[in-house]
Amino acid sequence: MSFLSFIAELLNLKLNKCKCSRCFTVPKTAVSISLLAACFCYGQKCDLKLEGQILDLHDNSPISAALIKVLDNDQAVFSNDKGFFILKNQCSGKIKLKISHLNCEDIYQELNLNKSVFKKFYLEHHIESLEEVIVEERKIKKLSTTANAYSLSDLQKDQYSGRGLAKALEQISGVNVLSTGNVISKPMIHGMFGSRVGIIYDGVQIENQQWGQDHAPNIDQNAFEEIRLIKGAGVLKYSGDTPGGVVVLENDLPMVNDSLYGKSILSGMSNGRGFNFVSSWTRSYNSGNYFKAQAMIKRMGDFSAPKYILSNTGTDENNISLTYGKNKILSHWKANFSYFSQEIGILRSSHIGNVNDLVHAIELASPTIIRPFSHQIASPKQSNKHYTAGIQFSKRNRSNGKLNAKYSWQRNNRKEYDVRRGELNNKPSIDLTLDTHDLFSNYQWKRSNWSLDSGVFLQIQDNFSNPFTGTRRLIPDYIKTELGTYFTASLSPSNDFSLGFGFRFGHQNNHVKKYYKNKRWNDENYQDQLGAFVIKEVLSQKLVEQRLIFNNLSVNTGVKFPLTEELKFSLNIFHTERAPDIAEMFSDGLHHSLATIEYGNPFLRSETTQKLVLNFEEKIGKFTYEISPYYTRGQNYIIIEPTGIEYTIRGAFPVWEYRPVNAIIRGFDLDLSLRLSDRIELKNNSSWIEGYEKATKTPLINIPPLTTTNQILFSFSNWKSFLMSLSSKTIMRQNQFPNHNFEASVVENGKRVNKLVDISTPPKAYHLLGMELHWGPYPLNSNKISLSLIFDNVFNTSYRNYLNRLRLFADEMGRNVMLQIKIYH
Amino acid sequence: MLKKLHIKPIITLCLFVLIFACSKSDDPDPAHEEEAITLVTLEVSKVGSSETTKYNFEVEGHDHADEDHEDEEDEDHDDHDGEHTEIELEANSSYNVSMFIYNDTDPNNVENITSEIIEEKDEHQIFYAITDELSGFSITSASDDTVDSNGNPLFIKTTWTTTGETSGEVVGYLIHKPTSKTGSTRNDFGGATDFEIDFEVHVE
Repeated sequence: MSFLSFIAELLNLKLNKCKCSRCFTVPKTAVSISLLAACFCYGQKCDLKLEGQILDLHDNSPISAALIKVLDNDQAVFSNDKGFFILKNQCSGKIKLKISHLNCEDIYQELNLNKSVFKKFYLEHHIESLEEVIVEERKIKKLSTTANAYSLSDLQKDQYSGRGLAKALEQISGVNVLSTGNVISKPMIHGMFGSRVGIIYDGVQIENQQWGQDHAPNIDQNAFEEIRLIKGAGVLKYSGDTPGGVVVLENDLPMVNDSLYGKSILSGMSNGRGFNFVSSWTRSYNSGNYFKAQAMIKRMGDFSAPKYILSNTGTDENNISLTYGKNKILSHWKANFSYFSQEIGILRSSHIGNVNDLVHAIELASPTIIRPFSHQIASPKQSNKHYTAGIQFSKRNRSNGKLNAKYSWQRNNRKEYDVRRGELNNKPSIDLTLDTHDLFSNYQWKRSNWSLDSGVFLQIQDNFSNPFTGTRRLIPDYIKTELGTYFTASLSPSNDFSLGFGFRFGHQNNHVKKYYKNKRWNDENYQDQLGAFVIKEVLSQKLVEQRLIFNNLSVNTGVKFPLTEELKFSLNIFHTERAPDIAEMFSDGLHHSLATIEYGNPFLRSETTQKLVLNFEEKIGKFTYEISPYYTRGQNYIIIEPTGIEYTIRGAFPVWEYRPVNAIIRGFDLDLSLRLSDRIELKNNSSWIEGYEKATKTPLINIPPLTTTNQILFSFSNWKSFLMSLSSKTIMRQNQFPNHNFEASVVENGKRVNKLVDISTPPKAYHLLGMELHWGPYPLNSNKISLSLIFDNVFNTSYRNYLNRLRLFADEMGRNVMLQIKIYH
Repeated sequence: MLKKLHIKPIITLCLFVLIFACSKSDDPDPAHEEEAITLVTLEVSKVGSSETTKYNFEVEGHDHADEDHEDEEDEDHDDHDGEHTEIELEANSSYNVSMFIYNDTDPNNVENITSEIIEEKDEHQIFYAITDELSGFSITSASDDTVDSNGNPLFIKTTWTTTGETSGEVVGYLIHKPTSKTGSTRNDFGGATDFEIDFEVHVE
């Protein structure tokens, strides 16, 4: 209780704050200076001395002639020309001070005096020229002046607090989730995923082996207040090689005042019988200092499909992030640290031995292994850890330029455990540690109708593949260095008209050391092209050392203007060049879930794509629509597909290899909204996409099928703070898919038979109904509380999802009821 | 002043980054594939005879395409794709067959995995699928076979009994973590296939 009253007090303090912005209207002479007032001392010591200095918050310069007034006894003094003041004969205990100055907002501060002290006080100068800066610094910066940025509302974000970033983003049209099971999910934007989608957190791109389909971004989206997305490589400041899109996670800058606030969300889920708790707190001070802490804990057990338990699909997650900074408006620095740790169970039945096992798994309607519900996570599983530490500094000058410098370090450790023999079962089959250092500095200029931003970046990345896993390395050891620069310009001659242009150039050097098996080496005739790079031969393997250099230039240009008064139009063209991933060039290993052997292609060149995105947005009375068609053309577009069968003692395995193709991807996203009344709103968002190889018209794999979501939102007039929503999502069957089916010869019941291994045919169309009930926020003591009840898959429909890699083994999750309690502190 | 303030730490950081990144320039250790099963041997001896014939089933990528086995010692009984290893047996006889499992990735340190499989008998099962053409041919657990804690024979040591002349295909599987230890076809066992050896039996 005492804690709550403490918060109450802080809130009161906040309310007390004077809102006078034009302080020069307060005449200096109006303040009367009372002489030593008689003090009521009930045996208190009243000989304490309070000394202080009044400083400008922005540049630490001393402020003279500030009036410091003790509110309890009307004692007051002015600060001298060095900003110093002395208040004598103060009694011990709490005293309240009011500090005011011409051109400044008054500040109120409470002090607990028990001895003579010296203290610094910061005043915020509201000089005319600064006013604009303050407003600008406080608002979230536009990601692009011409490309549309889609952001998640607080409600949308909080609802998905326990379900991962990809699933939260799926609420935006054109975004799909590519998953491996129910937890491992990554965002797919306009049919692209992995390295083609950049996830930027706190100004740096996350580096966590994002190439893999079964590698979810190792990030806790709850540590960020703003989640925005651009469908296209629209933020050259952060990345130039992500033609799919960019997801930007950021935090608001805390206000310069004395306060403590935060938010906690507790969610309980029926499916998986687990919970998720997120809490974040920000403490800010008048001096501009602030401290932010956030933590998340998640425990989930096995999920259930409508007809069976999905054994070994639990998750544990523990995350924490800490930020300390000093915001002086004109300058700002901050240091942050975060730790992300996750253990994810992978459907037990998806771990198979060879193609014959796969045939059997596909034939069965339900998984081969179904055990009673459990919170235990056994092999196969993934254990991921991601550490981030960074420090950044920014400084504005009076001519509206801003300099930023930033260093960040990321360490990602990924361990994948397979079902193995004996003691090996406790040893990971994959153990990769990826260290990434980013150094970034930029300078921004801003004028009323144009702005420029230019910077340089350096990235050094070191991948270490632990050789003691007792398996072949899936990814070799490498050091990647990238040095580059970018420049962006935007011009807004009038309020509605914007033009943008930018480029980003990166020089990348990959220093790779990889072991090739002699067998593979000979089969592929690598001797001619790679023979010169062999540095060692051991155990019928060749160690090859190569330096691969890629120079990539990405260019953007766009325009945004109204066609009519209500119809907004934008056109953006993104040209991107992406160096092939290390995985695309050098991966080498067995994927148990699809019983495939994957090989990289060491001769790949940079992939280039051109993407054109149009956007029309219009409001006609109560009706709003937004339609966004796009067209992407890719050269050297890298895809992976089966190229043959390899026979090993385990049996037969299809071999998947990377290959560059010329590809076309096109589609459109549609968002409709009809506000029937204050209480009822109808919404629809749909997206259609197709992708194929240009030459052969062969469809690309994993292109999302036509999806449409209808939603009704309504509230009742007599129920305050209540919102209800019903949503119906229809996912059609994907009819355009590459046929990678093959035949396997199996001995069954005494006969050798040829069986078709159907790994390509997409599952049937399905429909899901969801319902959400939101109450609140209601006042609770000095806090606010809101409550949500969310039903997913209300009809408990059994379905399989084309974009789930484990769709051959089991159905998706059945009904889930989630209760969420949210408290704003 | 700006330069003084911010260039220095950037340089320091740069150096730190470079030093950090370059500190590990040693060659990576070759991975040792501990789990791999690369060689399975069937030792077949006729009951009452001291002569033993060895049949090797070697692994590592027998591609469908023709290839030159440059680092594999070719033996007569190797399991080449397309032409299965042929095991010749006499009619109306009994044979003792022992299975041996090895990892010979490192030729200087060939690991015998057989004892490990025997130790983990509860987690493993060997199953021979005999095609219908091989009429009158049977494989049973030998008297010295390993039996798991539930009394199910592992089939690592087997007795092969022949009757009349016949020939046909046999597939031997080592199944890891089977869902059932008994069955008449591979799918009855569940689990994951650790190896699959394919051979032709000729009874003459």
